[in-house]
Amino acid sequence: MTATLRKNLLSLCILAFGWAVGATAYAQAAAAPAQPPAAPASVSPATTELREAAAKAPTVADLQKGDPGGTLTGTIADVTMTDAKAGPTLADAGNQIGQNKVAINFVWTLICGFLVMFMQAGFAMVESGLTRVKNANHTYMMNFFVYGCGLLAFWLIGFAIQMGGAAGNANLGGLNPLTGEQGISLFGKTWGLFGKTGFFLAGSSYDVGVMVIFLFQMVFMDTALTIVTGACAERWKFITFSVTSVIMGALTYPLFANWAWGGGWLSQLGTNLGLGKGYADFAGSGVVHSVGGLTALAVCLIVGPRIGKFNRDGSANPIIGHDISAVLIGCFILAFGWFGFNPGSTLGASANGNLRIGTIAVATMLAGCTGTFGAILYMWIAKGKPDASMSGNGLLAGLVAITAPSGFVSAPSAAIIGLVAGVLVCVSVSFVENVLKVDDPVGAISVHGTNGLWGVLAVGLFADGTSNYGGSWNGVTGSVTGLFYGDASQLAAQLVGISTLMGVIFTLSFAINMVLEYVIGHRVSAESELNGLDIPEMGQLGYPEFVFRPEPVFAAAA
Amino acid sequence: MAASKSQGSYFGLFLVGATVLVGGIAGIASATGKLLMLVGVGILLAAAAGFLKIKPLEGETPVERSPEAMKWMGAGVVLLGWVVTIGGLHLVDSNGGRIVASLLGIGVSLFGMLYVLPAAFNKTAFWKTAGGRPARNGFTAVASKATLESELTGGPRAMESAR
Repeated sequence: MTATLRKNLLSLCILAFGWAVGATAYAQAAAAPAQPPAAPASVSPATTELREAAAKAPTVADLQKGDPGGTLTGTIADVTMTDAKAGPTLADAGNQIGQNKVAINFVWTLICGFLVMFMQAGFAMVESGLTRVKNANHTYMMNFFVYGCGLLAFWLIGFAIQMGGAAGNANLGGLNPLTGEQGISLFGKTWGLFGKTGFFLAGSSYDVGVMVIFLFQMVFMDTALTIVTGACAERWKFITFSVTSVIMGALTYPLFANWAWGGGWLSQLGTNLGLGKGYADFAGSGVVHSVGGLTALAVCLIVGPRIGKFNRDGSANPIIGHDISAVLIGCFILAFGWFGFNPGSTLGASANGNLRIGTIAVATMLAGCTGTFGAILYMWIAKGKPDASMSGNGLLAGLVAITAPSGFVSAPSAAIIGLVAGVLVCVSVSFVENVLKVDDPVGAISVHGTNGLWGVLAVGLFADGTSNYGGSWNGVTGSVTGLFYGDASQLAAQLVGISTLMGVIFTLSFAINMVLEYVIGHRVSAESELNGLDIPEMGQLGYPEFVFRPEPVFAAAA
Repeated sequence: MAASKSQGSYFGLFLVGATVLVGGIAGIASATGKLLMLVGVGILLAAAAGFLKIKPLEGETPVERSPEAMKWMGAGVVLLGWVVTIGGLHLVDSNGGRIVASLLGIGVSLFGMLYVLPAAFNKTAFWKTAGGRPARNGFTAVASKATLESELTGGPRAMESAR
């Protein structure tokens, strides 16, 4: 009986074990993912090759040993796959390549934008260095606060006006949400006037590519705004400066930028009227610098010269800045930032002819160099001394002038453009001061206004037709080519741009600031001006321990 | 007056008005958008009224009143140059003709910008009349002080004395 029971129990155990094993095996079979399907007959050899490469890629165990030579990191194993089990496909590889291209362009554009943002520091140093100690805090504060005023205005509405209709940029993924350009039909053609999408960067403009172009365009806009602060330094009411900066960032600058860069009517001169490739302004000699320089002239006229600048007979007194070291270091910072300004204006480093960034960077360097030589030689020969502040202005003038042509000209042309700019800035400073009787403490009207216009003109003369940014510019097939290389129509387009800058943008700036003159007033009181603006306008001295000793004490000490 | 609490308040009001106005423009197709625009314009007008109210508190500025009509005429001449350029584009078909028309327009704009406007602003420039007008004795006093102290060249001259 016992033996029978044991036999039955043994049989039961065997049966239970068998059932358990069988059930587990069944469960495992059910839980296990489906085996990779056998490669269908339609898998291309390329896909097979990709999968073989994936099989040969370093394993995690390999990588855990470290990769000092960098030969194991970054392989096909890092390609994002839609189905990891199936392995990489051609579509995966293609998507990765496309994203890499846009990623390279995003990073390039953002870093260049960060460089341009740093130019604000250079402007602050140049402008404050060229003004007197008693106004240092006020001048620095204008350069500081213009960043906030401009950014706020550009976020609210400026960006929408400028880039609201700028869809179609292949470098940054298409910028497809920006499709709202308001046009007008004239003479049988449609002309873009202003954009109307992207307010507050909300709605459909909440897009990765839109954010990149916003940042880049915003810092450009702020560069234009800060030009005015230098020209009107030492006598401008801070409140009026603040209001006019907001308006300029919201309206004046974005309007012209739309016409040139946002799909507006100046960029359509080529497609609509056959004028070259339309108005071509690669990085903004016109859009940024002329707009800033011409606005500076308009405000300078209204605000008037500083007390003591001109004598009764109209002759001008030199007003010495307080820190030439700040001026020259500021110029270097600006020259550094310009490598973001010009090469960054390709809006990418990958595809669509963007490898020209090296040429653009060298053209920028060369024009700054020859601009410095032009100014130094002019001052040395004409005035007897290689004036430091004019040398700095020569560097900046060369950089301003090459900004528009930098994407279209050769190195020798860049050198010529810069050299002309260096001489031109000296002549222009003298003209503005001695003929117009306009007081511009830092020479901003000449550096940015005069040379900005020269840069726009230089495109129409020196563009050599070798650049190829995706095969067309402003929707016209071919490369931008100037008069010296056989295309007179490009010069005509550039002249229309210059005329628009002077006729429309200057007038608009003038009208806005005249209204502000009636409502708020631009000029500080004579008492504030004589005491320096640091205390009355800012409530704090820039250099509280920096006290001038009276002249007799100075003499006695000697 | 220099910078003041009132200025800060009205500037804040200006920014609020501008933001509301832009909010209205962004949603202009809707009734809410139109309402926001009206509210924004109202706030901006209130800010402007505030600025206007405190403007006289700034004190006497050195800038003399100059002929307003001439200033606006100058701006008109600058704008006229652009009209000439644009007109030329449509009247002439050749590249050469368009270049000439554009240059003509630029010339007109330059005339307005570099001759008419400076002439308008400099007609009664304070530096021409310092020490002159009884009505501006207050300014005359401070301007004269500035001249006497030679504040502009004070630094370099002090250095010369030191040498």
